[in-house]
Amino acid sequence: MTFSPTFFRVELVRQARNPFTLIFTLFMPVVMYLIFGATPEYSDIMAGRGNVAFTVMTSMAAFGTATAMTSLTSLAASEFTRGWGRQLALTPLTVAGYALTKVLVALSYAAFSVLVVFLVGAATGAKPTEGWVWLAAAGLILLGGCMFGLFGLGMGMIFSSEGASGLASIMITFFSFFGNVFMPLSGVMLSIAKFTPMYGYNALARWPQLEGAIDATAPDPLWAILLNVVAWTVVFAGLVALGARRVRARQ
Amino acid sequence: MNTSTAPAVELTDLVKTFKRGTVRAVNGVDLTIRRGEIVAFLGPNGAGKTTTIDMALGLTTPTSGTATVFGDNPRKAAASGRLSAVLQTGGLLHDVTVQEIVNVTANFHSLPRARVAQVMEAADLTELARRKVGKCSGGEQQRVKFAMAILSDPDVLVLDEPTAGMDVNARRRFWDVMRAEADAGRTILFATHYLEEAEQFARRTVVMSHGEVVADAPTQELRASLGGRVLHASLPAGAPDQAWAALQSLPGVVEPFRDGNRVSVRSTDSDATALTLLTTLACTDLEIVAPTLETAFAALTQD
Repeated sequence: MTFSPTFFRVELVRQARNPFTLIFTLFMPVVMYLIFGATPEYSDIMAGRGNVAFTVMTSMAAFGTATAMTSLTSLAASEFTRGWGRQLALTPLTVAGYALTKVLVALSYAAFSVLVVFLVGAATGAKPTEGWVWLAAAGLILLGGCMFGLFGLGMGMIFSSEGASGLASIMITFFSFFGNVFMPLSGVMLSIAKFTPMYGYNALARWPQLEGAIDATAPDPLWAILLNVVAWTVVFAGLVALGARRVRARQ
Repeated sequence: MNTSTAPAVELTDLVKTFKRGTVRAVNGVDLTIRRGEIVAFLGPNGAGKTTTIDMALGLTTPTSGTATVFGDNPRKAAASGRLSAVLQTGGLLHDVTVQEIVNVTANFHSLPRARVAQVMEAADLTELARRKVGKCSGGEQQRVKFAMAILSDPDVLVLDEPTAGMDVNARRRFWDVMRAEADAGRTILFATHYLEEAEQFARRTVVMSHGEVVADAPTQELRASLGGRVLHASLPAGAPDQAWAALQSLPGVVEPFRDGNRVSVRSTDSDATALTLLTTLACTDLEIVAPTLETAFAALTQD
């Protein structure tokens, strides 16, 4: 069996009971947007196909999605390696079915996070010049977010302890600071930031609005952004492969 | 192999090594369990019981040798619901309710709701349905696992120390429920530390030590060879030293030990020794303790 509706439903409800899931995937992105995007005087300055509030909103939604994908998939992996996987191996559910369910649950939370952040954004003045930018940004956020599903999966398998998810989520926050997500970086910091995983993802999410433009410097070409995303996706896939080897060695 | 006549479980020259072959957890185990048999799997910690069970369930790949269930890959038997198990402590989700985790397992096996209710009842979980698994006691969690294991109505049920962490009452209740399962004609293999559980429940007992099967016999035979029970008693206040001297010379009595007024001996015929202690020797406060597996098998499993 690859998909059990009951399992999906129970997992969805179960993650909602976890206060950390809600704080990191919903509360934090919304609050960060309100602080950095909705209230300051620069919010209404226009940039590309929208205002600055829209840029900040997009970044915070990307942060929320990256966190949701990372924390939920790392939880899934560490939980699977710590006994629950043995229990599941005695049922018709396959490993692929387990992974599929968990990724769908993570994507559901990511989508919910994007929805909430966008609704708060729409209510507080974030606006693009063209309606399709909403959809394009949301689509790119969710699609690109899958790379952090790999990151979480790898982390969860490598560090199978309960702390794996916390560590992975904190790393996403760290990468966000150094990835031009929370506040605009400049100078050396910005040069370094371009090589970090959240940078490419964030720039991709902003592409429909900004097309690579960043504050006071030359815009990033699309190929550079995609190269960042693809390279980190490959690194995270490697992490998953390493984790899978570790898990097998433990058996 | 013809799967309709194949034994329930067949382990052939099963070997499992860890850490690049430096640790041999299971060292050439051969074991055939026929359909309908109830077999106890005894041995001290680290004897290789769990690793052997894991291979029989298809959870661990043997380094060499084969494990089959009804002549086929154990994983297939598990996926079809014919093989099921209560694994050792751990392995449950803690932040879901008892009802939820049982529902999920039932859905994996595509079972109807009526079966869920039936099993919840059988495992005595109806009242715990809305409790979080993490809030259940160790014994209650074992019952949850038991419910999950019997949902698919398996032909072979494997239990790895199912009563670990239970108090005496919980343990008794658990085996009462198990008896009903056994009467239903299931093949049952269970690992345990408690000799009593093997005695009361299994006709056949397999003893493992250092990764090998060191004994495989009807439980009663094995029990007789284990060297009796330990008796504790208080010496009579009037003439403790005479009683102590007489006690040491009784037939069948070994390992006499005295601490003040309290004595203990091991006896191969505990009934006769007890009688003498209470009558001729006028001892009081008699306690008779069956050997725990750890101590009883110390002799059998020593190198």
